[in-house]
Amino acid sequence: MTGSLERPQTLREWLTTSEPSSRTQARLGRTYLSWRTFSRNPLAMLGLLVVVGLIIVAIFADQLATHSPIVGGDLRTARLLPPSAEHWLGTDSQARDIYSRLVHGSRLTLMIVALVTVLAMPVGLLIGTVAGYVGGWVDATLMRITDIFLAFPRLILALAFVAALGPGIENAIIAIAITSWPPYARIARAETLTIRNSDFIAAVRLQGASRARIIARHIMPLCVPSVIIRVTLDMAGIILTAAGLGFLGLGAQPPMPEWGAMIAAGRQYIVDYWWVATMPGIAIFVVSLGFNLLGDGLRDVLDPKAAR
Amino acid sequence: MIDIRDLSVVFGSGRLRVEAVKGLSMRIAEGESFGLVGESGSGKSTVLRAICGLAPVSAGTIAVAGKPVPVPRNRAFFATVQMVFQDPYGSLHPRQTVDQILSEPLAIHRLSDRDRRIARALADVGLGSSFRFRYPHQLSGGQRQRVAIARALILDPRVILLDEPTSALDASVQAEILNLLERLRAERRLTYILVSHDLAVVTHLCDRLLVMRNGETVEETDTEHLRAGKAETAYTRALMKATEGFTRAAPASTE
Amino acid sequence: MSEQKPLLEVENLNVRFHLRTGTVEAVRGVSFSLGRERLGIVGESGSGKSQTGRAILGLTPPPGEVTADRLTFDGIDLLSIPRRQLRNLRGGRMTMVMQDPKYSLNPVMTIGDQMIEAYRAHRRAGRKEAREKSLEMLEAVQMRDPARVFSLYPHEASGGMGQRAMIAMMLVTDPDFLIADEPTSALDVTVQQEVLRILDRLVAERGMGLIFISHDLRLVSSFCDRVLVMYGGKVMEELAAGDLDAARHPYTRGLMNCLPALEGSAHPLPTLERDPAWTQ
Repeated sequence: MTGSLERPQTLREWLTTSEPSSRTQARLGRTYLSWRTFSRNPLAMLGLLVVVGLIIVAIFADQLATHSPIVGGDLRTARLLPPSAEHWLGTDSQARDIYSRLVHGSRLTLMIVALVTVLAMPVGLLIGTVAGYVGGWVDATLMRITDIFLAFPRLILALAFVAALGPGIENAIIAIAITSWPPYARIARAETLTIRNSDFIAAVRLQGASRARIIARHIMPLCVPSVIIRVTLDMAGIILTAAGLGFLGLGAQPPMPEWGAMIAAGRQYIVDYWWVATMPGIAIFVVSLGFNLLGDGLRDVLDPKAAR
Repeated sequence: MIDIRDLSVVFGSGRLRVEAVKGLSMRIAEGESFGLVGESGSGKSTVLRAICGLAPVSAGTIAVAGKPVPVPRNRAFFATVQMVFQDPYGSLHPRQTVDQILSEPLAIHRLSDRDRRIARALADVGLGSSFRFRYPHQLSGGQRQRVAIARALILDPRVILLDEPTSALDASVQAEILNLLERLRAERRLTYILVSHDLAVVTHLCDRLLVMRNGETVEETDTEHLRAGKAETAYTRALMKATEGFTRAAPASTE
Repeated sequence: MSEQKPLLEVENLNVRFHLRTGTVEAVRGVSFSLGRERLGIVGESGSGKSQTGRAILGLTPPPGEVTADRLTFDGIDLLSIPRRQLRNLRGGRMTMVMQDPKYSLNPVMTIGDQMIEAYRAHRRAGRKEAREKSLEMLEAVQMRDPARVFSLYPHEASGGMGQRAMIAMMLVTDPDFLIADEPTSALDVTVQQEVLRILDRLVAERGMGLIFISHDLRLVSSFCDRVLVMYGGKVMEELAAGDLDAARHPYTRGLMNCLPALEGSAHPLPTLERDPAWTQ
């Protein structure tokens, strides 16, 4: 083996070398290769574009919005105006600019998505890996609990929780998070069952590692990719559930510019003033599709089984 | 060093009950290299797994270095006994670099001076420092098996259990790994238990061996005896015959 | 052995895989001809031995490209005939036994149904005739109770039994030419002998041509009449099986010497020094 003493020529060579000389280089090289696979998939890139776009819009909502999302114009002259140069996507029944409301609504959507991920993913991952690795009555108990949650349609269960906790965006998020972890637990458990009997886990056991250490350091990292894929693919569903709760008046409360609530508000004018309900509908559609495409792309990169 | 008496291993119960090992006894002296030979289902690997706690001991006793093995096995035990697995593709974590794989035992046993130990372990198994930050998929089968051996050695154990360490490798790579194992044993006065289906591999590395079939001892013998053609059972003779390749004339039935 | 027109002729066979990362040449300029005899192809992993076998049967997986100056079976050009005709030939007059019966038998069909299907795919025959022929074949591979094996699912058969059933299935159409790719590597050594003996007898009785692909030099040289030694996609050396001790090529010699022997072997074992010039 020749030591790579001389500095490699380009960044790409440095990243793709088969002899990384540090932990960071090895990790970056791996990330780079994944990125290369991902970026060759045009649909996945489109999905990424949509999601990044959503984040940018959410960050710069104040700059991008042309009007106030909450305070409307003159109720006598500015109600239910069709799309125009002044109001790009028209105005709603309260004379508010729909475009500005959509822009600000992206923050809510992003917050729902982020919070649900932060709440549901770790819970599902932990329950699934522990159940799968420990087995026995622990597995039986945890999985029966999971089954109970899985047995209810998500929206119905979320409705029940919101009914109990009271309407509001925070409670809607909690309700969605509570209802969305079971599939992740299932996936993590299934993955764990295939990993737990492999020789590399036996090898760590033979080094004297504790159960907690094996689960956290050796099993979880292998389950994370499939859970991430599932979460990304679920995002569309989560956004729709949030919108559904909003639509039913149990999620975000007026005058918050939540997309589902906006559709609900536009429902009664759908025939004469189609843009009021359609514009937020398109927004939901585009963002959901974006997450779905991103999830599909991630699956090709992260899941070695699907790649073949 | 290792004293096994009347070891039985039973998996499952009722109709699914399988007796993998039935009343097996063996004694292995310190610094000795002992072979376990048998075909699939003979229980030879189960014996190794029972020693290190991966398979349940249903009856009998196992003692290492004069003391009965603790249940469950503790860290001190694993610092004495380590194992190398058959399939180098399955025994290394697919998303960890060689460096992470070798750091793990050091972290578990809270050993200091990790950089030096890892560098030494890699050098011991004939891998340069350029291998340290590679992932398993960037290594060949032989290189992976070297990493697995380095992982077993890094805690400085006295006993190494070798479960078919070369059967997944090409012949030329097998020779390199066998040479490596032999050199390491000489340098570190290690005790080996080598499990294999290949009598030629076992007699190359071991002086004494035990032939197993269906979880039972067929015969305990040594390499000298076998080379002198003094195998006692027809089964052992059939295994010997098989190492020579195909023979057109049918030998005495093995059934 | 009658030296007539060879059954299979291969000249300058190349198999390339065009991948994103570049072109991999799996087989490079392999030539040989086969009569009604047993030819062994030996090599380590990555030597191209399996890809050679697959290319002959037209089973090279998708990104692969096969070229040859000549690839004929009984005078038929295998590279230019329509796929349909090739499919009929394959499984009919030429066939293949693979390493692990677990993966090459359909798990949800009984062994017997699979044999009947194989037979009827290539012969105009009724179920009854196919069944009789299949039972006959199972008997020929020394199944103790052919009728029972006939109705077993693959997972119910042991490794040796499954592989014998596989051989029976592949030979039920009376092929002229068989490729056996590591047919016994997944089996225990004692069962291995039994399976090889059956294969040996069937090949001899039916006057078939056989290509036996394996990593095991000892096994191949004791089983076959001739041996091709492959390395890096190229043929290093062609030998009569009996002349193995007179092998000239350093690779063949290295391969033989690095095996430990029961009678005693050098300590340390001689290792194989690979010369990059071999693959030039």
